[in-house]
Amino acid sequence: MTIKTNSEKLGEGVGFERIRRITGYLVGTMDKWNDAKRAEERDRVKHGMKNEA
Amino acid sequence: MIQSIIKRDGRVVLYDQNKIASAILSALEASKEGDAADAARVANDVQGELENRFATEAPNIEVIQDAVERQLMNHGFNNAAKAYILYRANRTRAREGNTALMRTIDEITKIDARVSDIKRDNANIDGNTAMGTMLQIGAAGAKSYNEMYLLRPEHAKAYREGDIHIHDFDFYSLTTTCCQIDIIKLFQGGFSTGHGYLREPNSIQSYAALAAIAIQSNQNDQHGGQSIPNFDYGMALGVAKTYRKAYIRRMKEALEDILELEDQMDAVNALVKTAEEETGEKACLESTETFDEAVANMLVGKYPMLNLSQTRRIVATTKKRAWQKADRDTKQAMEGFVHNLNTMHSRAGAQTPFSSINYGTDTSPEGRMVIRNVLMALEAGLGHGETCIFPIHIFKVKEGVNYNEADPNYDLFRYSCKVSAKRLFPNYTFLDSPFNLQYYVPGRPETEVATMGCRTRVMGNTYDPSREISYSRGNLSFTSINLPRLALESKGDEAVFYEKLQYMLELVAQQLLDRFEIQASKHIYNYPFLMGQGVWLDSDRLGLQDEVREVLKHGTLSIGFIGLAETLTSLYGKHHGQAEEIQKKGLEIIGFMRKFCDDKSQALKMNFSLLATPAEGLSGRFIRMDQKRYGKVEGITDREYYTNSFHIPVWYGISVYDKIRLEAPYHALCNAGHISYVELDGDTAHNVEAFEAVVRCMHDHGIGYGSINHPVDRDPVCGYVGIIGDVCPRCGRREGEVIPQERMEEMKKMYPEMPAFQGIE
Repeated sequence: MTIKTNSEKLGEGVGFERIRRITGYLVGTMDKWNDAKRAEERDRVKHGMKNEA
Repeated sequence: MIQSIIKRDGRVVLYDQNKIASAILSALEASKEGDAADAARVANDVQGELENRFATEAPNIEVIQDAVERQLMNHGFNNAAKAYILYRANRTRAREGNTALMRTIDEITKIDARVSDIKRDNANIDGNTAMGTMLQIGAAGAKSYNEMYLLRPEHAKAYREGDIHIHDFDFYSLTTTCCQIDIIKLFQGGFSTGHGYLREPNSIQSYAALAAIAIQSNQNDQHGGQSIPNFDYGMALGVAKTYRKAYIRRMKEALEDILELEDQMDAVNALVKTAEEETGEKACLESTETFDEAVANMLVGKYPMLNLSQTRRIVATTKKRAWQKADRDTKQAMEGFVHNLNTMHSRAGAQTPFSSINYGTDTSPEGRMVIRNVLMALEAGLGHGETCIFPIHIFKVKEGVNYNEADPNYDLFRYSCKVSAKRLFPNYTFLDSPFNLQYYVPGRPETEVATMGCRTRVMGNTYDPSREISYSRGNLSFTSINLPRLALESKGDEAVFYEKLQYMLELVAQQLLDRFEIQASKHIYNYPFLMGQGVWLDSDRLGLQDEVREVLKHGTLSIGFIGLAETLTSLYGKHHGQAEEIQKKGLEIIGFMRKFCDDKSQALKMNFSLLATPAEGLSGRFIRMDQKRYGKVEGITDREYYTNSFHIPVWYGISVYDKIRLEAPYHALCNAGHISYVELDGDTAHNVEAFEAVVRCMHDHGIGYGSINHPVDRDPVCGYVGIIGDVCPRCGRREGEVIPQERMEEMKKMYPEMPAFQGIE
């Protein structure tokens, strides 16, 4: 890796990293996830703190 | 007259009757039914038959082989005919296997991992690198061989058709899964990595460096994740050594400066040693007044120009400086350790070691210094603020140690919540849950449950009930059952389902035993580190040439499962998150499986255990096959994945409290390992009170192992870590967009800790 000298292009083509837990461990970029796990990650819903019981 | 024949690949070659005769002779010899003369007679009749049927065109291989079978039977060589048919079938299976294997290798070789799903089966292996590709090719070859040569036909069929999944199948004939590495024992007197010998470490830096090397070395002897169960207790010994050295050095320097003397190293060394012998204490982080006074008095004796108030001040300053030095060194050691585990290569460079460290219960000052600093290293992240992927940090929660406000390590538990809210680690393991508490003996850290890999847990020991500990043991192998398929095949009939489940459990148990037989017949020299260095329990009692059979029995054979939610939906129309009576049914199924494991353990005096399978490659594999068989059945096969183990489906809306309450009882049943996740939105996760409340909820409901998921995003250009929607909240750019130079300069002033972005070229 070398430092980009053309600072006018800082960030060009660079995406965000999205770190998620795959199954107990973390994976830095979701590019490495298999198709099923990607679908599962997409479907995850947040759990509310309020007790509905 | 037959002139030529057509081979399988379509090539036309000259007809050679001798080749037919020699194949017939092999079959006759195998069945002891005839000799070369018989073979020639049969071959002649084969030729006759072919000439009658093929006047002008060339026959193909399959037609010729059919004729050979017929003529062998016409001549009454029935056993030879059978031998020939078997030979043909085996050749066909091998040929088809080879073709499938070559196609797989072709895909591994030519297709980019971003396009090829098989190259992303394990997210921890980079399938685009040379060594990653080599590893995948090796794995494909090994799987093909293992299926053809090592599995019983019924196991091969169940595996191939997706009734079961044999995990780490590429390593079937090679090694075992994982082990909890007791670093205290390993470091005593030094150890060999298999490539060289390392002396016992003498400072916290070398303790931490060797801990990373231990994980790396063991990773090459086993196929699963590697773990240190006693990271705090182990590293504390390194802190103590660093402190004592710093104490002597700082005192020596103080004396030399004040008294303008030359080298006082030997004198101070001897003085401290004497003080330690007389008081029975060590120069340690929190030395007692008795010890400090003893040193102050001896200093007056040795250096009469100093009075007691002066030597007391020297002792106090020395303690303070030595503490600072130890703390600084520990910080650097922990940073180095975390960096090491995120960057070091293992398994021919294809991946970083899959590592875990457990800590949280050591209440000694040294242990606390380790815990605080390793959490700080985790919080700080890597060089550019990246979240550390490895090791998995596991914080052991225990009442009386760190759970309640009055507990000695409560401050560290609180801090761990803050760190986890930012970095997703640590995860939490709960020693107070009844199935963990039953093994816990205060003052014996080896009885504290610890976790390795995704979730593996080893505690109970039917083979040797006197050794119910987590250290130096691990899982040998595991195989998972496709539960939803059993339910689909049962068509809503509960009794049929249990029959099928019983059959499948027996099948898997037998397969695990077959695999154990292969593993058990290995020798100590097959595992130069794991067994050769005594990492595995009792392996230090064996010689290099000995079989590992008996000591391996300390490990576990685990039966896993996937998709309880889909199973319940198929059998009863709902999953366990939807109705309390279905939860009861779910616990009955998993309880049935656990009882099978317990009975098997008792019958064989081995450790069969039930695993809530970490479904990574598996979540897609089973459901793809089931969609082909049953189509898209609503609520069962209509997604791209089966739900992980006993989890409430990820897409189902449920409160934190209910999710934890419903999943906790399964932790008690799945003694080979389990984990529950809670998904929090970013705002809740960053509220430490709320985060701690979730961890406490897990503790109070008897969860064994849990973690809290929340979004952790990072913009590598401006270094922002947090939640990023479409636009980075710090620099305001979208993915791929450029930041203007002036904006970058402004931000550097506002955020001095901002890393200098290194573009990727």
